[in-house]
Amino acid sequence: MTEIIKRDGSRQPFDAPRITKAVASALNDAQIKDDAFAEYVAKKVSNTVADQVLVDIYDIQNQVEDLMMSSEYHNAARKYIEYRQTRDLEREARNALSRDILGIINQDNGDDNDSLLNENANKDSKIIPTQRDLLAGVVAKHYAKQHILPKHISAAHEQGDIHYHDLDYAPFFPMFNCMLIDIEGMMTNGFRMGNAEIETPKSITTAAAITAQIIAQVSSHIYGGTSINEIDRIHAPYVRMTFDKHLAQGLRWIGDESKASEYAMEMTEKDCYDAYQALEYEVNTLHTANGQTPFVTFGFGLGTSWEERLVQKSILKNRIRGLGRNCKTPVFPKLVFAIKKGVNFSAEDPNYDIKQLALECASKRMYPDILNYDKLVEVTGSFKTPMGCRSFLGVYEENGKLVHDGRNNLGVISLNLPRIAIESKGCEATFYQLLEKRLELAKEALMTRIQRLDNVRARVAPILYVEGACGVRLKPDDKVSDIFKHGRASISLGYIGIHETINALYSAGDIYDSEELQQKGLAIVERLRAAVNQWKDETGYGFSLYSTPSESLCDRFCRLDRKKFGVIAGVTDKGYYTNSFHLDVEKKVNPYDKVDFEQVYPAHASGGFICYGEYPNMTNNLKALENAWDYTYDKVPYYGTNTPNDSCYSCGYEGEFEATSRGFQCPQCKNRDSDKMSVTRRVCGYLGQPNSRPFIRGKQEEVVRRVKHL
Amino acid sequence: MNYLQYYPIDVVNGEGTRCTLFVSGCEHFCPGCHNASTWDASKGLPFDQAMEERIIADLGDRRVHRDGLSLSGGDPFYPGNLAGILQLVKRVKSVYPQKDIWLWTGYTLETLTAAQQAVLPFIDVLIDGRFELARRDLSLPWRGSGNQRVIRLQEVRAGC
Repeated sequence: MTEIIKRDGSRQPFDAPRITKAVASALNDAQIKDDAFAEYVAKKVSNTVADQVLVDIYDIQNQVEDLMMSSEYHNAARKYIEYRQTRDLEREARNALSRDILGIINQDNGDDNDSLLNENANKDSKIIPTQRDLLAGVVAKHYAKQHILPKHISAAHEQGDIHYHDLDYAPFFPMFNCMLIDIEGMMTNGFRMGNAEIETPKSITTAAAITAQIIAQVSSHIYGGTSINEIDRIHAPYVRMTFDKHLAQGLRWIGDESKASEYAMEMTEKDCYDAYQALEYEVNTLHTANGQTPFVTFGFGLGTSWEERLVQKSILKNRIRGLGRNCKTPVFPKLVFAIKKGVNFSAEDPNYDIKQLALECASKRMYPDILNYDKLVEVTGSFKTPMGCRSFLGVYEENGKLVHDGRNNLGVISLNLPRIAIESKGCEATFYQLLEKRLELAKEALMTRIQRLDNVRARVAPILYVEGACGVRLKPDDKVSDIFKHGRASISLGYIGIHETINALYSAGDIYDSEELQQKGLAIVERLRAAVNQWKDETGYGFSLYSTPSESLCDRFCRLDRKKFGVIAGVTDKGYYTNSFHLDVEKKVNPYDKVDFEQVYPAHASGGFICYGEYPNMTNNLKALENAWDYTYDKVPYYGTNTPNDSCYSCGYEGEFEATSRGFQCPQCKNRDSDKMSVTRRVCGYLGQPNSRPFIRGKQEEVVRRVKHL
Repeated sequence: MNYLQYYPIDVVNGEGTRCTLFVSGCEHFCPGCHNASTWDASKGLPFDQAMEERIIADLGDRRVHRDGLSLSGGDPFYPGNLAGILQLVKRVKSVYPQKDIWLWTGYTLETLTAAQQAVLPFIDVLIDGRFELARRDLSLPWRGSGNQRVIRLQEVRAGC
């Protein structure tokens, strides 16, 4: 008797009636009634395999296909083939799901799972709650790709034409990306969290503690970063309350008013420092429901009152001190320090001393990054802290007043620009034609994000919608979609690899060296901007253009394109694609020239951007660091100075470690033990600690190739 | 005088944003020297008028601010370099009295010859002493070994 080998390798007796059934079903789909033909095919196949002991299922299916194709029933043949393909895809998808799950269990860091486990440098994939989150992510992603998203969108993501970011959360869950929490509204009006009613705090200590609680809650309900805009302004009233309390006590026990006031100031300074220390520890020990320490950003720097200045100094001094016994550099919260002429820019400004503190902090801890007030207002229309690492909201008013806090971003879809360039084979016209198609696809994908939130009720995330984090107090059964309309929320088109795109499209040398190629790069970004503007007009939603951080995407798109098109010099050969509009990390230019090169882009990609420069250790040269900051003031809105200051727990060396493909090394004692060092590098808009949580391969390669701009 | 390297924008040799010149020629031959290629005075390119003009122009750059000039090597106090160095620092100080000049030498301040001392009035910060491998310490600012000193000459001149 003949046996067939199934796809999974198991064996089963040959069963002719199954063929009859499959062919009849294909005929039926093509609206043909011919049972005799089905019988005929089954009989014919039976005859050819009769004298064989083992037959592969693929051979049998191929024979059926051939017989049907050579018959008069071409439509039925097509149905049969389609059905087979669909089944194959489903089967493959099921296997992929099992593979991914197995990868988590086995901590398999082979080729495929490098991307799963090291995709996010902020997730420690070795611990159980993170693994639970990864597991949920894997299932949510597979379900969304197969059952929620339109097939062609899933396919475009799968193949790497576009990237549907954060598929492990949305659209399976109706979650959005990142936001500016309305802490001020929550604290002023009170709110409910878990089983507790929280009233307005009466001291900076309590205000900081509650802020940490809010961050933890909010971060568990969204998948992107949570930012607090102008935390110095928001916390100032609670610093005043602490002062008043101490003053009353001072007057009671000391009597003398000026002495009591001096006492109250000193006590308040101590309380404030301690409150931010507690907040920083809280953020770094928190573990959200998303299996990671929350992505938090604190924006500050503009306040000039005693209270606001105290908040600014407390944040910076805590960061300079570092975390724990080894005074480790924390990577969260991200600190963003605003610089404004007349506030802290030059020596005669009232907060110039705090700028000096910020410089010291940046030289030792890499953060803060800086926001240049005037340029930011010029580029985005108003001053605000980025959501997460680099997402910027546009202008939005309620009752004639600018509103920022409580607003959010609905998510990102990124375009693989280098691929479009490769496919265009050097023809610019083809590039723009293909780009139009991909833009259509991206828009459709973005609309699925909006639609997913359409019928969602406030009760799925009370902290966001009912208790005020989003700046609204909806009823649990209210729909939430209205608060995302009319540009209140942003939704972003992302892009990657202008550098590689130009290399693939024009074989005319390096973009940096050619005025003409720079115009070409800019033209592409301008086209993207025009597209989001048009979508905004059509839909009323706040579409914006976002320069994708590409922590893992730099690796993914390049890997897929290398598989598809092979190694192309200057395009797929490095193992990563360059971040958005950034200059090639291997290009040796000084940071001033890099700023000049990149400064034209943020105005077009105003929904998200950051510029940075690679500096040596600058702890002994704050003056030069300040020169660099000052240079950017009227050129780029948002700037980070990558000034590595690593520490070796083995010999005590502080300074920059050497980056290699296999890890990091102390230049003084050659220590390579990742447990005996603290190494901090920029991953994207955020920092990461690659010694304890390795970057994805493409990112590590990019870090190794970074040349100093000085 | 020959020079081996010139960095028009530099932040690791002295405070602030600087122009840094590495001249050729050194007779200290310190073991472990990380610039050993600069010992031979005949290496590199001749320091000519055009180079001097370039430094003057770079220091006055209106786009990227420079705090001053750094002279390293080799050894700027190598006997064969003294005339060239003196001419350069005089010129720089006359054009930019506000900008400072840092100079690295393997000789010590106390043992400088008269010709070397003649350069001192134009120098703001002197980093002196040989590089001693046994006292190598990467954590020291602006110098490689513990015996070397960062001397603010203005303070010396003021007698404090």
